[in-house]
Order: sequence, then structure tokens, then C-alpha cells
Amino acid sequence: MSRASVRQAGSDAPTLEAWEVFRQEKDGDPMRHGGSVMAPDVELAMHYAREMFGRRQESVRLWVVRRGDILDLEDPDLLQPPLDRSFKKPGGYVMREKLAAAREAAGQEKPKARSR
Amino acid sequence: MIATAPPVAGLDELLLAMADDEFVIGFSDSEWTGIAPMLEEDVAMSSLSQDELGHAAALYALLGGVTGQDPDAIAYDREPGAYRHARLLDQGRGDWAMTIARRYLYETADSVRLEALADTSWQPLADLVGKLRREERYHLMHVGAWLERLASNDGEARHRLVTALETLGPHAGTVFTPLESEGPLVEAGVLARPMAELEKDWRTRVTDTFEPLGLPLAPATSDPWLGRTEHGEAFRWLWGEFTSVRRSDPAATW
Repeated sequence: MSRASVRQAGSDAPTLEAWEVFRQEKDGDPMRHGGSVMAPDVELAMHYAREMFGRRQESVRLWVVRRGDILDLEDPDLLQPPLDRSFKKPGGYVMREKLAAAREAAGQEKPKARSR
Repeated sequence: MIATAPPVAGLDELLLAMADDEFVIGFSDSEWTGIAPMLEEDVAMSSLSQDELGHAAALYALLGGVTGQDPDAIAYDREPGAYRHARLLDQGRGDWAMTIARRYLYETADSVRLEALADTSWQPLADLVGKLRREERYHLMHVGAWLERLASNDGEARHRLVTALETLGPHAGTVFTPLESEGPLVEAGVLARPMAELEKDWRTRVTDTFEPLGLPLAPATSDPWLGRTEHGEAFRWLWGEFTSVRRSDPAATW
């Protein structure tokens, strides 16, 4: 991903660049990508991240990262190798029947999906 | 206008001055919604001005509790001449530099004032001031960042900022306009120190920021005793704006 930056009109105008914002909704949650803001420097990026992703008390923590500082890896040779990889997947080990049998033996109900 | 006597003499005067300050700067700055220099700043300034209106609402509610009036009626049903905000906030929106200059002068003054109320003897105000100070911390950071950026730019931005500070200078100290009931308020421990002392603190702090940036310091306030009572044409226009919906149907339930 190329570093997105635009030059504003005028010779001494600051360069705006993109900052990616990650947010944590509540303590213990993972940091999730929230979106991005445009800002000329880290201080204003912090302000704008706070306004876009925190002003309604929807976050307890933000990470603000200059987009250009992110190592962007989308190389298919590295991530989507062309040869068969099925032997690296656990598909051959079907656990469902074994689990069901074990639960029956233990007299346990199937646990419900965890709700957040 | 007082329906019942306030628990401490002069409390209503203090609350009205503070509430009107927050209300007028909040409404003035909300004029940037949709037209700020960039999208992110547009959201930021709109959010800041909503914060100020929220602070005004909380202060009007305290005042209403003291005087027995409806907070909305205090906010909207007075004639322009009855508003008691500082004249600093009366100069019209102006350009972005004017807005930043006004916000900087006001936010720094407000923060000195809130400090002087942090240990106020009237508990409802102490509770509110604790919350206001936490939010105002961010406001100071935001406007400080902008002041520094405009001042550090050698071109038009700095020129406009200096012009704005020169225009606002004679009115800058009006946030500290002495209150008529200041004596009793200080005596009762509501206000830690007289406004004149707070103004000195504020001038020292602004000087510490302005000198390294080479920005013009505010001269002594012109007509200091009229700092909260003389409102000009720009405020009359603003008043017409912010009361227009309310006046369109005074009996409506919102």
C-alpha cells in the first residue's frame, strides 16, 4: 500500500497524510481497526482519532499509526502459495462425533455460543 | 430575576457569567460546522462546540436549581442586553485564526477560573467543576496545538493570527470582569480568589506561551467594568440566530 499523502494548495501548506486508528471498546477486548483520519502530524492525528473514534465514549484505548509505517504484506507468493496445502489444514481430524460421544458419556449439554 | 434566594449571595451571578460564556463560545464555534478547513477539523470543532453547549446546559441547570427558573428559559428567553458573557466572545466568528485566537484566550482564562473553583465550598458546583476540568483539558490541548501551528507558519497563517490577537487583545481580560458579589463569594469560599488576582495568573501563563512564539500580548482591558454588560452588533446577530427557533413558537414543547 503506498503512503497516501496529498499536498494542499499553497507552497507552505503542511502535508496531510493518512493515519490508521485502532480502538479498544472495553478493557480486555482486542484492538480492532476503526478506520483512518487525515492529519499533518501525530499530534493532530491524535486529536482527530479521539474525535472520530472516541468522542462518544465508545473507546477506552486508541492506537494511532502512520499508514506509511505499517508493513503491508499482500504478496500472493508468500500468502497464497500455489501448491496444495491441504495437508497443513486440520480438516482430516473431524472432532464433532468424538466430542458428541464424549459429552453423552459425561451427560453434558452442548455449550451455547458465547455472547459478547 | 431571582425567584428564590441563592444559598450563597452572588452564586447566581457567578453561574450566569460562566454559563453564558460557555453558551456563546459554543454557539459561535458551531458556525464552523460544514465549513472548517478540513473534514477532520470540522468534526473536531463541531464536537468541541457541542461540549461547550453541554457545559452551558449543566451550568444553566445548576443556576435554575438555585433560582427556580427553567434552564431553557434562562438560555433562550432573555433580551440580548441581559446576557452576561465576556465581551471577548462578542467579536463575531471571523476567520479560522480569529476563532483559534479567541478560543485560546478564552480556554486559558476558563481554566484559571475553573482552578479557582476546584475546591469551592458549594458542593454541587465542586462536583460539576471536577467534570468540566477533565473535559477542558482536551480543549486546551486542541487549541494549543492550533495556536502553535498558526504562529509557527511564516506566511498568511501567522499574519492572520497576529491580526486576530491584536483585535481581541483589549477584550481578552473580560473573562475576569469583577463580579458585583465577588466579596461575598470569596468570603464564603465559593471562589478561591478575586477575579483581578486570577487575571494576573492568566496573563502570566499566556505570556509564557506567547513570548517564545513572538505573539502580541493582550493590553490592559478597555472599560473593564463593562466587560460583561456591553454587547455589540455581532452578538445581537448571534442572539437572533440562536433564539430564532425558540422564538418561532414559544409555546412548543421540545
